[in-house]
Amino acid sequence: METFWDFFSFTDANVRYVTFGAILVTSSAAIVGCFTFLRKKALVGDAVAHAVLPGVCLGFILSGVKDPLWIIIGAFITGWLSLLLMDQIISKSRIKEDSAIAFILSTFFGLGILLLTWIQKSGNAAQSGLDQFLFGKAAALVGNDLIVFSVVAIILIVLVVLFFKEFQLLAFNKDFAQSMGLPIKLIEFISTSMTVLAVVAGIQAVGVVLMAAMLITPPAAARYWTNNLQKMLLLAAVFGGFSGLAGAYISYLAPSMPTGPWIVVVVSLIAFFSFFFAPEKGIIPLARLQKRNQQKITDENILKGLYHLREDEKHLKQKFTFDELLEKRPMHKDRFHKSIKRLSRKSFIILDNHSLDLSESGLVVAKRVVKLHRLWELYLSEFLNKTPDQVHDEAETIEHLITPELERQLEVRLNFPNKDPHDEDIPY
Amino acid sequence: MNKDEPALLVRDLTAGYQKKPVLWSIYLEVPQGALCCIVGPNGAGKSTFIKTVMNLIPATAGDVKIFGKTLDEGRSRISYVPQRESVDWDFPASAYDVVLMGRYGKLGLFKRAGKEDKRIAMEALGKVGMESFASRQISQLSGGQQQRVFLARALAQEADLYFLDEPFAGVDASTEKAIIDLLREMSREGKTIIAVHHDLQSAPSYFDYTILLNLRLIAAGPTAEVFTDKNLQDTYGGKLTLLTEVGDLMKNKRFPEREK
Repeated sequence: METFWDFFSFTDANVRYVTFGAILVTSSAAIVGCFTFLRKKALVGDAVAHAVLPGVCLGFILSGVKDPLWIIIGAFITGWLSLLLMDQIISKSRIKEDSAIAFILSTFFGLGILLLTWIQKSGNAAQSGLDQFLFGKAAALVGNDLIVFSVVAIILIVLVVLFFKEFQLLAFNKDFAQSMGLPIKLIEFISTSMTVLAVVAGIQAVGVVLMAAMLITPPAAARYWTNNLQKMLLLAAVFGGFSGLAGAYISYLAPSMPTGPWIVVVVSLIAFFSFFFAPEKGIIPLARLQKRNQQKITDENILKGLYHLREDEKHLKQKFTFDELLEKRPMHKDRFHKSIKRLSRKSFIILDNHSLDLSESGLVVAKRVVKLHRLWELYLSEFLNKTPDQVHDEAETIEHLITPELERQLEVRLNFPNKDPHDEDIPY
Repeated sequence: MNKDEPALLVRDLTAGYQKKPVLWSIYLEVPQGALCCIVGPNGAGKSTFIKTVMNLIPATAGDVKIFGKTLDEGRSRISYVPQRESVDWDFPASAYDVVLMGRYGKLGLFKRAGKEDKRIAMEALGKVGMESFASRQISQLSGGQQQRVFLARALAQEADLYFLDEPFAGVDASTEKAIIDLLREMSREGKTIIAVHHDLQSAPSYFDYTILLNLRLIAAGPTAEVFTDKNLQDTYGGKLTLLTEVGDLMKNKRFPEREK
């Protein structure tokens, strides 16, 4: 706990720098990644992330020192080269996109590892720490490294703000953008260069192996919470930045631990939380909605069953036993009793020792369901030319779905009829 | 602007995908104010034609004039409504966001949409009867509503020549009527409409100008003159096996369409 306060009080200047740098590079990657994600280039992003490794090594070999500027230039060149090669393979050969991506990723990464091993064997003392670019080490974000990587990250954020509407259009509808005369080739070039740069900016904190996760996971999580592109960019930046902060903390706590995996674990947890719990789109809210729909159908069917029983008795008898109702409307016992409990709690039915009756409000609901069922049957037979024996099953589900607006439309369209296709009364 | 200048003039336009010619030497012109349909069977190159005219697909040969000017000079006067299925409607945008995109061409780089652009976008939504859906996420719109949004985006461009790729595909009857009414009104105001159309039945009553296309141009002119049994027979009947085979040959042997 003490280290926790040591870290989060940010009294140590070093901690401040590392944290600031980690947040900046992860959040800028997340923002740029939103467009990679929306352009459906996630796998391409992964290939590029791996393809910067030989560039990192070449930058080192050519300069002889671990200078971030050389490393960025090298990484940028091989990153772009991998993209060009992928495009050429897809357009000029019979190899399809997925194979081209896999081919380029493994070739470039293999080459990178080869060079890295060669450098390590060469005995150059300056190479120590180069292997950190594989899985990242946020704690190394100090001095020159911090300045260079942060500047790249800031440039990326500024470019997204400047080209926001062009990137939006490119991602949504490229043909249309081109038809307007926007310089689409240039915009694509900038957008793709930014993907490469975002990867490059993140290699110190996250590492090349897992950098693609920083491009794609925050946008994927953010998409669950909003339908607005600006908000999506902001949320992705927050998710990315938070995982960067967590990575910096881990790096402070355990200096020998690579930070990339930790950052990715944190951002993945955010993503999983979003997949499950985001309102409207998450798995659990959707499952609950389905369950509520199921309950509504059961409840309304019981009320409808009671109404049908009343009709059978010409409305002379109003109280019926559970068994009478279950005979009229067979259903699973468990489901039946749960529904009965719900209905009596909402006082749609009046329970009296194993027999039951509709309350005032229950009668209103029951009548409406019966009405909608019969109106829909009539609609199907009049407008879709279905025979009376074909319409019942379809109306069984539709009756629970129809909104008051549709109900009114249906009534007007059919001119408030009295009888359904089976010659039964339509109650109003 | 010269009134007699055709809205679209196409000379010797030839185009294809990956060396396989899809359109063979098309010559035609569409007068200003025409409400024009492009009709032809599946795979006749109708979409390719409008895409090539706008240089979304590079032409292998030929020349296009928009109101007598080159394509690049005429860009700001054309508007394009792509096929509805050509985009991913799950994109994070509202109907209004999409319509506002129609203003981006006029805005140019780095500028943001201003009050006037926003007013024009809202007005365009109104013209297609979609004001009340302005803030609706686009994936929650029906097919017909999505098509209306695309049309509103085109209106927001305030162009003079409109290319529509199958505006009636997969829309309900009321949307189809709303769209054709709108196109007629635009045509009355002097706008030129060129739409890829699939339904032979409705084509003569909807459009006053017709282009019949099947890999090559069959006929182009006022609908009353062009829509003859013979022309339709030529467009839809008699498979052009020879033309297709030569096209395949060019692709397989990597043969150029024109000497370079």
